[in-house]
Amino acid sequence: MITITDLRFQYSGSDFALQVEQLVIAAAQSVAIVGPSGSGKTTLLNLLAGVLLPDRGQVRVGNEIVSALNDNARRNFRIRQMGMVFQNFELLEYLSVLDNILLPLRIGSGLEATGELRSRAVELAGHVGIGDKLKRYPNQLSQGERQRVAVSRALLLQPALVLADEPTGNLDPSNKTVVLDLLLDYARTHSATLITVTHDQELLPRFDRVVDFRVLNQWEPTV
Amino acid sequence: MSGVFFLAWRYLLWHRWKTVILLLAVTLVIYVPLGLQLLVQQTATDMTARADRSPLLLGGRGSPLELVLNSLYFSAGLPPALNYGQVDELRASGLVKPIPLYVRFQSQGHPIVGTNLDYFAFRGLPIAAGRQMVSLGEAVIGARVAERLGIGAGESIVSSPESVFDLAGVYPLKMQVVGVLASAYSQDDNAIFVDVKTAWVIQGLGHGHQDLAQPESAASVLKKDGDRIVANAALVQYNEITADNIDSFHFHGDSDHNPLTAILPVPADDKAGVLIQGRYQSHPQLQIVQPRAIIDELLDTVFAVQRYVLVAMALVGVATAAVVLLVFLLSLRARRAEMDTMSRLGGSRVAIGSLMLAEIVIVLLASVLLAALLTGATLIWGGPLLQAVVMN
Repeated sequence: MITITDLRFQYSGSDFALQVEQLVIAAAQSVAIVGPSGSGKTTLLNLLAGVLLPDRGQVRVGNEIVSALNDNARRNFRIRQMGMVFQNFELLEYLSVLDNILLPLRIGSGLEATGELRSRAVELAGHVGIGDKLKRYPNQLSQGERQRVAVSRALLLQPALVLADEPTGNLDPSNKTVVLDLLLDYARTHSATLITVTHDQELLPRFDRVVDFRVLNQWEPTV
Repeated sequence: MSGVFFLAWRYLLWHRWKTVILLLAVTLVIYVPLGLQLLVQQTATDMTARADRSPLLLGGRGSPLELVLNSLYFSAGLPPALNYGQVDELRASGLVKPIPLYVRFQSQGHPIVGTNLDYFAFRGLPIAAGRQMVSLGEAVIGARVAERLGIGAGESIVSSPESVFDLAGVYPLKMQVVGVLASAYSQDDNAIFVDVKTAWVIQGLGHGHQDLAQPESAASVLKKDGDRIVANAALVQYNEITADNIDSFHFHGDSDHNPLTAILPVPADDKAGVLIQGRYQSHPQLQIVQPRAIIDELLDTVFAVQRYVLVAMALVGVATAAVVLLVFLLSLRARRAEMDTMSRLGGSRVAIGSLMLAEIVIVLLASVLLAALLTGATLIWGGPLLQAVVMN
C-alpha cells in the first residue's frame, strides 16, 4: 500500500506548490493520474520515488517511509523496489539493448549482473518483442521498441511498484496499446502497484482507478 | 565498481574518435618527455661506455670531436690523416700497444674499418661464425651487417666508390667475408673489418695486375726500357684479391707514409698513458685526446638541448591537461541528462560520480601503457637513430 499524508512540496524560487492531504493506493492496484500539463503530476511521481523530498508530510511505500530515508537508502529502495518508465525512454545511447536493460545492475549499490539476471533480461526482452534486437543500439530502434527496452529495464528486478511518467506519450496507437498491455500485465501477474501519469483519455478505462490531479492537489495560488 | 568500469568502457568505445584523440594527446604528453629522457640517457650511457673503454686516441691535429666520432663510432666525418709510421713509433716507445684505424670507406652504408687483429682482442669481439681475417682482401663483418645484408662467411662484399662520377677515384674492391662477429651491441656490430692494408688497396695505394713480364701480357706493354716495363691502357687491374692473384698485389712507396685516420694507443698502465699524452701534448701535426672528455663535452650540449625540450614539453603537457579537463567538464554538462536518468533509476551516488572518473582512469591507463610501449620501441630502434643524429 502506498500512503501520502499531509504532503507539501514547493520548488525553491517557484510559486507553484504541491499539497496533498491524503492519497492511499492499495497494493496491486493500477492507477492512472490525469491532469493538465504542468500541474505537478511528474513531481508527485518523483516524490513517490524519493527523487524529491517533501517540505512537509510523509510518503510511505509498503512498510517504508520513503520520505524519512537518507539519500543512499532512498536510492537503494528505488532501484530494488521500484521500476521507472519515462516518456522519453531515457536509454543510454552507448549501450546495447541488453546492456540498457541491465543498467540498474551496473549502477545499483550491491547489485551484480549475475547469470540469472542476464537470463531474465533476455527473457524479458523476448517477452516484450525485442528478443532479436539485443545487440542493437537505441538509435537503431523505433520509438515503440525503445519504450519496450525502457519497460524491460524497469521490470528487470521485479519491482513491487512501477512508476510510469507518460509512458505512451511518444508512441503511435498500436505501440501505446502494446506498452500499456505490458505494464498492466506485469502488475497483474506480479501483484505490483502501477501508477501511471497519462494524458490519454482512451487508456483510462483500463486502469483500476483514475486520480484527477486537479482534485488531488489542494494547493491554491495566492492572489 | 566493475559495472561502472563497464559503462565507462562502453562510453569510450561509443565515442571512439573522441577517445582516440584524447588517448593520443595524453600518450604524447607522457611519451615525448619520457621517451626523450630515457633515449638520451641510453645514448649517453652507450656513448660514454665506449669512450670509457678507449682511454686514448691519437690522430691528425684538427677537430678532436671528429677524431673521436670517426674512430669510436665510425661516423662519416673524416678527420685529418696521420702516417702509419706513427704506429711503429708508438710501439717503439714501449708505453702503449698501438692499434691502427683507417675508417674512410663504406660498403652499402656500413663503415669499412681498416685495422689489425689487436683491435678484436682490445674490444673483446669473438668470431661467431667462420674465422678471423688472415690475409689481404678478407673481411670480418659485424653481426648487424650480416643480418641486414643477409650475408655470412664464404660470401663477398664490395666497397662503395667514394664518388661514382670521379673516374680517377677509388674503385670498388670485392672482399671475401671470412667471418661474422658475435653481437657486441655496439658500433662494431655495424662495421666491416679489414686489414689496414686492404683499406689502402681500396684507396688505390696498393694494387694487383697482370705480370707484364709474362709473354701472355705482351698486348698490355707500352714500352720496355731495360728492367722497366711501362704498361698501356689494356693492362688488367684486379678488383678482387684471390689466392691466384694475391701475389701480384703490391704497394708503391713506403708504407710508413700510408694514411690512417687514428691510432688507438692502449697504455700498459696509467703512468704509461700519462707519459704518452705528454709526448704528444704539443705536437705540431698530431693530437692525443681522451675520448671520455670529448664525449662528455658533446653530451653536455645534448643535455642542454634536452632541458629546453623538456621545459617546452612540460608547458605543452600543462596545456594538454587543461584541454583534457575542459573536455571532461564539457562532457559532464552534456551528460547531465544521462546522470539524472541514472539517479532517478536509483543508481548509487558513488557509481554515478565515479563514472567519469573511471573514463579518465581508463584513458590514462591506456595512455600510460601506449606510452610505455612507444618508449620501449624507441629505446630499441631510436637509440641508434639518436646516436646517428648526435654524431652527425
